[in-house]
Amino acid sequence: MSEKPKVAFFDFACCEGCQLQIANLEEDIIGLLNLVNVVEFREVATGKAPEYDIAFIEGSITRKSDEERLKDIRNRSKLLVAYGQCAVTGGINLLKNNFGDLDMVKRKVYGDDSSMPHLDTAVTKSVGEVVKADLAIPGCPVNREEFLRIVKELCLGKIPRIPDYPVCVECKLKENICLFDEGTICLGPIARAGCGAICPSNGVPCDACRGAVPNPNKKAMHEVLKKYNYTVERIIREMNLFGVNPEVSE
Amino acid sequence: MDIVKIPENDFYKFVDKKIAEKSSRIISVVRKGTKFVFDELDSASRMCLDYDVTILPPKKYFQPQKETLLRFVPKQADSYEAVNEFEPITLIGVHYYDLAAIYLMDRAFSEGKKDENYLKKRNNALLIGLYPTHFFKYRFSSSVIKGEQPYKVADLMLIHMDDGHFALEIVTEKGRAYIEGAGCKKSDYTLKEIEDAKNRIKDDQRLPIPVELTPDYLMKNHDHPVWEVFGEKCYSCGSCVFVCPTCYCFDMKDEIDLTLKSGERTRNWDGCMLENFAVCAGGHNFRGKRAARFRHRIFRKGVNLPLKYHYWGCVGCGRCADACTSSIAGPVKVFKYIEENK
Ligand code: SF4
Ligand code: SF4
Ligand code: SF4
Ligand code: SF4
Ligand code: SF4
Repeated sequence: MSEKPKVAFFDFACCEGCQLQIANLEEDIIGLLNLVNVVEFREVATGKAPEYDIAFIEGSITRKSDEERLKDIRNRSKLLVAYGQCAVTGGINLLKNNFGDLDMVKRKVYGDDSSMPHLDTAVTKSVGEVVKADLAIPGCPVNREEFLRIVKELCLGKIPRIPDYPVCVECKLKENICLFDEGTICLGPIARAGCGAICPSNGVPCDACRGAVPNPNKKAMHEVLKKYNYTVERIIREMNLFGVNPEVSE
Repeated sequence: MDIVKIPENDFYKFVDKKIAEKSSRIISVVRKGTKFVFDELDSASRMCLDYDVTILPPKKYFQPQKETLLRFVPKQADSYEAVNEFEPITLIGVHYYDLAAIYLMDRAFSEGKKDENYLKKRNNALLIGLYPTHFFKYRFSSSVIKGEQPYKVADLMLIHMDDGHFALEIVTEKGRAYIEGAGCKKSDYTLKEIEDAKNRIKDDQRLPIPVELTPDYLMKNHDHPVWEVFGEKCYSCGSCVFVCPTCYCFDMKDEIDLTLKSGERTRNWDGCMLENFAVCAGGHNFRGKRAARFRHRIFRKGVNLPLKYHYWGCVGCGRCADACTSSIAGPVKVFKYIEENK
């Protein structure tokens, strides 16, 4: 590669937790900077550039004005990567869409300030619903190792693969005790792996923060959770947290 | 086969001595929360030979979850060098069904072009087997394993006697050399006493039909509704194949370091129950349906492997039944369903 690819990071509606993961790469940040030329990254550097080889987009799209900003970035980028669950599916911000009446949502959250113009809000969209995303890196937040792997593979001209199997795979590789054996429930069997099953490895159930696998068996999940005495409302709440549609289509 | 005996306490002292010698890594069963795992010992006091089953079988020492096979420089075709890392290990307390499984793995990795990465690890391992002393509700080994199977790979077999002793069957010369200096005495147990101790723990489950008949039986039931009924409940999560001592599938991955100047090819566990396991060039998935994958796994154990190796392809350890959150993976349950829905 003659020149290092010009890379930029942008954020939309999010907690900035994903860019914090990148900023906290510690010694690997040097390695990353040897690979790419970071031309814009608000959280760690000042500066702007007219165009980018790779634009990393964090956050979901919740305002009309954000759609325009995102389209502008898309027009100036060769590759556009949605990173973090907010960007990939809408993530946590999707919860808002469950309530229909967005004015009511705004009043509930912001009270008397809700009519201020910068709190303008619309239905939550993923990056891919507004512009073409060439790649999606799931996770809330993204997994640093996975992020680095993907940057390396993009630099080498490889098509990065995101795991398409459930979290149970990584849980088994680590020889964890299954949380179902401990009387807890876990969305691992339908959740997309790639995090190293970090939650069950620490005794915490998986909430599917990386979304569901491409073809989740939700019918089985409903049956199994019911067997563990979870009500349908509770199941729906669990699955909704990171925007996994709990409905069983068939 | 010679049989000796050793007081339990002396055996633990002997294991401590072997740990101190450091001539091989000593691996045995230890507690992990409410369950058990194979792990390296730093003291015999951690060793727990009174266990029901381990979460993963000992195959992780011969075919690790992730293993480096090559190192290379990216984009430089002639730069690769083979990697084969192994060291002497001693596995203590391997239940007889896991030994039977290691024999099947040995066969699979020795066929055709020998798999040196597996075989080097295997040939540097000493195996001390054990007859179970603890019940496990999903185990059905006694209905699928033939008596001689464990002895094809074991170096020594431990049998827990009622009087605070282990009887120790010396299977190989390597095993005999290993226990020299342990202070074993000649066994004075009768054959019946030994057999009774081996069979003390009775399995709760059995395969409902004789193993010899399963290849024909399953072929006849190739289109039985069981595959759809069970497939519908399957997550394709792979837990049943990852915990299985006779599953050996793997995938290759290339990993490049951050300088982009060096890389490694690793082999990683994979399994036929995962949705995209059978995706091939052009994106075609030749086993895209849950039912087809569910049937395939049972056919591997009950048709393909038995026809090839003359032993059943499943050793009845019951791990898959235990690991399946959907409660469908156990072979006994599958065969029973067919029997009940003829
Ligand atoms: S995906 Fe999660 S961590 Fe990342 S920005 Fe969104 S809320 Fe924060
Ligand atoms: S703890 Fe969760 S992720 Fe792990 S095996 Fe059990 S269900 Fe799967
Ligand atoms: S275990 Fe589940 S919730 Fe936890 S990081 Fe992984 S995908 Fe997200
Ligand atoms: S199929 Fe199940 S019972 Fe049979 S050897 Fe594999 S894990 Fe054990
Ligand atoms: S463990 Fe159960 S649910 Fe998971 S792949 Fe196996 S049979 Fe299917």
